[in-house]
Amino acid sequence: MHHFRTLLWHELRTAFFTWSNWAAAALFLTLVGAIHWFAILECSRAPQPWTPVEATFRLFWLPLLCVLPLLTMRSFAEERRQGTLSALLTTTASTAAIVWAKFISAWITWVVFWLAFLPFPLLTEARLAIPSDTRLGDSATLWGGLCFIIVSGFLHVAIGILCSCLTRSATLAALLTFITLLGLTAAGGAIESLPIESWTWLGWLREPAAHLRTFGHLEDFASGILDSRPLILYITGTFLCLGLSVIAVEGKE
Amino acid sequence: MAESSPQPKAAVAAESLTKRYGNLVAIEDLTFSVAPGEIVGFLGPNGAGKSTTMRILSGTMAGTSGRASIWGESVALNPTAAKRHMAYMPENNPLPEDLKVEEYLSLRARLKDVESKQVADRVRKVMEDCDLVRRASGRLIGQLSKGFRQRVGIADALLAKPKVVILDEPTIGLDPHQILGIRDLIRSLRGEMAVLISSHILHEVEQVCDKVVIINRGRLVAQGKTEDLRRELLPDSVFHILSRASLNEISAVCLQNEKLSLVEKIGEIEGGWCRYQVTMPSQSPARETLAGSLIQAGLPLREIAEQHCGLEDIFIAATRRSPQERNRA
Repeated sequence: MHHFRTLLWHELRTAFFTWSNWAAAALFLTLVGAIHWFAILECSRAPQPWTPVEATFRLFWLPLLCVLPLLTMRSFAEERRQGTLSALLTTTASTAAIVWAKFISAWITWVVFWLAFLPFPLLTEARLAIPSDTRLGDSATLWGGLCFIIVSGFLHVAIGILCSCLTRSATLAALLTFITLLGLTAAGGAIESLPIESWTWLGWLREPAAHLRTFGHLEDFASGILDSRPLILYITGTFLCLGLSVIAVEGKE
Repeated sequence: MAESSPQPKAAVAAESLTKRYGNLVAIEDLTFSVAPGEIVGFLGPNGAGKSTTMRILSGTMAGTSGRASIWGESVALNPTAAKRHMAYMPENNPLPEDLKVEEYLSLRARLKDVESKQVADRVRKVMEDCDLVRRASGRLIGQLSKGFRQRVGIADALLAKPKVVILDEPTIGLDPHQILGIRDLIRSLRGEMAVLISSHILHEVEQVCDKVVIINRGRLVAQGKTEDLRRELLPDSVFHILSRASLNEISAVCLQNEKLSLVEKIGEIEGGWCRYQVTMPSQSPARETLAGSLIQAGLPLREIAEQHCGLEDIFIAATRRSPQERNRA
């Protein structure tokens, strides 16, 4: 991991000054703001079994699918298209350091986006005349949801980085990330909804599918349940994706 | 910075280097070397495999077989050590558009193991050497002209005082003034760094380089000092004569002096004056007496000049002959 810190600092600086990241931030805040706003409106019309904060986190897949690909698509695809990646590889920086620096930078950006959501409930409470019996959400849901975003973000961002390593086109990288994240988010629920029990030859899928319940993980985190299985899933998945990214970068150059 | 390690025999060594893409052979059995402090021109027609060879030597591409080493370190087995001694400027000189020149060079200096305390000094020094201080230091790379971008690429290559610098077409797209500047800069590296430079501007290579390596269709066709190659590849002397005599009269005098002379009429100008080309072996004593013999024979003679064979002629002669012919030679 030679030169990791130098590369990370450079990546963070680049992330801050890149216009597409600012556009992604604007899109993210608009989306999350709109979701939160509509959740508050729904709650104001009739009592709901969920709070606006819970509803916002439940729809985390919307910014995940729309915004995260924008954050990761350029990381390798654009550098490869411009040729600056080969120039970087002529230095003594290791490929692993380059991949990890880009990954950590994109992950920090993703987490910062979500941290920017934190003031929303507070602002809503401060600016709107909310009846005392209306709850926008409790802090456990807020922090639990954020923990889920942080932990699952490792895998989601790593998938984006891997997809960006596979192509020279940033658009194609974004599309690949979108499809993979959609598959990953929907996979658990989709497999569970299939009548697997009647298909004996597919019975082995039931248990692995149970581990892929992304929404279940969110609920667990929001309820303060710290299950090691999703942690292991996200962390091993992250290492797998980043390992493949290193191989892809070295192989393609 | 490049570590002080014992000086090897060859700063750059390619031994039986081969690169295949499926059935397509990009380079085959390429063997050459560059001595420490030597400037070597790496020549070949488009698609000959120059950039592929340079990419393998720089460690950005793996060869199929053979061995490439930089300052005694194998590029494949010990890439980090090899990269520590080497700087490479690729053909199109890719640079990030959204960084300022000084920021970019500082980043590259850190990535090239320049000590933190020396980064600012080294950046300032290479910017001065490449004439970037006055007009480019505070500007975004994306706003720079082609000439300045090339200078940034060369400044980057010189940052860590490497033992070996590999430059792929460093003067492509530059105006004559800029080419002169870059040429002087490269010349100033003689003795300090081994430079392997590819260029299509043969005149420039001839002026700057101590030695040339010529490849064609991925195979080595000639290597050595220009003078040695000239003797090997162009063994004949060529004279251009402007005379009013006939082809037969000129031929008679030439053959009297040297039996192996070949006389051709290559043009005619007004007043009955014709231009002839006489080719004879370089070792022939007739070279010294030809002009006198023509005058003694009473032939009307206005001009006689031995043609200088430049690198361009050597390049054409080398790339025209096949690798088999070269092996036989």
